[in-house]
Amino acid sequence: MNWLTFKQRFLITFWPPVPAIIAAGVLAAYYFGITGTFWAVTGEFTRWGGHLLQFAGYHPETWTYFKLMHFEGTPLERVDGMMILGMFAGCFAAALWANNVKLRLPQHPIRIAQALVGGIIAGFGARLAMGCNLAAFFTGIPQFSLHAWFFALATAVGTWFGARFTLLPLFRVPLKLQKVSAPTPLQQDPRQAARRFRLGMVVFLAFLAWAGSKVGATPKLGLAALFGLAFGLIIERAQVCFTSAFRDLWITGRTQMAKAILLGMAVSVIGVFSYVQLGVAPKIMWAGPNAVLGGLLFGFGIVLAGGCETGWMYRAVEGQVHYWWVGLGNVIGSTLLAIYWDELTPLLVTPYAKVNLLETFGPAGGLLVTYLLLAVALVAVLWWEKHFFARKAAQEAL
Amino acid sequence: MTPTPTQPAPLPAPDFRLDMRGEPCPYPAVATLEALPQLAPGQVLEVVTDCPQSINSIPVDAKNHGYEVLEVVQDGPTIRYLIRR
Repeated sequence: MNWLTFKQRFLITFWPPVPAIIAAGVLAAYYFGITGTFWAVTGEFTRWGGHLLQFAGYHPETWTYFKLMHFEGTPLERVDGMMILGMFAGCFAAALWANNVKLRLPQHPIRIAQALVGGIIAGFGARLAMGCNLAAFFTGIPQFSLHAWFFALATAVGTWFGARFTLLPLFRVPLKLQKVSAPTPLQQDPRQAARRFRLGMVVFLAFLAWAGSKVGATPKLGLAALFGLAFGLIIERAQVCFTSAFRDLWITGRTQMAKAILLGMAVSVIGVFSYVQLGVAPKIMWAGPNAVLGGLLFGFGIVLAGGCETGWMYRAVEGQVHYWWVGLGNVIGSTLLAIYWDELTPLLVTPYAKVNLLETFGPAGGLLVTYLLLAVALVAVLWWEKHFFARKAAQEAL
Repeated sequence: MTPTPTQPAPLPAPDFRLDMRGEPCPYPAVATLEALPQLAPGQVLEVVTDCPQSINSIPVDAKNHGYEVLEVVQDGPTIRYLIRR
């Protein structure tokens, strides 16, 4: 394979999502082993909200929720902060390689409203549950924390309501079919594509060098940034979308993304397990009504917004202005949760235990229970797909 | 731009176009599935979108719902799908 073929196949053409998500699952397990924390983004977005509050003259560092979130230092001094910088760099480099950066302006005012409101609901729900599609799902379930299962199930329900709501006529643009006799001509300017590719390489190599230079003195921070770069490349190149994994089960009966995510978690589980056996403490959160309520809100919010906490990141750097609003909504929503945390916790959070499945069922039992639950989830997805298309066929036969 | 392998027969020209540029997920995929039944069997729909995530939805959905995906062209930020009813 020469350079041009490699470039076309891996740096320009989108990656198939299934192997990409499995790779993310493997990397997420190593990330846990190296940094002692899981791959997560919303906690850091909340801290950004904290910085904004400080800038406005408030003292969020004295609030309970921000203490809980270890709101200390700057993003450059935090593992999550460095990882997210890497993700943005990776997403941006990947989008530039494929000449996929374009200012895409929302075509209808309702889209801005749904992006902002959906983002706020999702941000609030995610922080209430102590994690988003990552910390309370993709990387939370492999931590053997029961709360992630509560959150995942509730998210599935929330996305069902979200899907019904988002397809209401209010949000729909009338279908316009044009009669044509020839395909739309290709419009890409090859010179622009070449310039963007080079710029993408500059972003990628500059970040690689900068993050690499941090590994010597601060190994965790430097490596977190490098892992972020890889996570960013993966989610943009493969267009990994957790929202669609849930939503499109209900809307179009598509199960590919859901299956891929279940496989990704399955490979992550055994990796995280090995580190926990060596003594790394897993991250366990309260398995209370907060996880259920948070999941319901999160599921509804991500479908309304059109993307989740990781989804908006790569879409925002691709120039999809819609997702700038979603990102802003996420930061607002998580900050709102931080404001109301003290009122909510006695009711929804702290009376409930942090359940570690590896302690409840013992190490082998917890591992087995987790794989059984993942298998049940996979069977449920397969059953749903069959049911969806059988129902569709029956409707068409009428 | 995806290099299209040399094909024995040239691709049919589209009969209708659905231009979804500017619209985010899930609307391009939903509109595609709503548009296709309006075609006569054998007619070809061209879907044009700049929603990159449609790469994982439109071709899979079209196939799952019984249509034939003839071509997927990635042209920078624009993606063009040719789908036969």
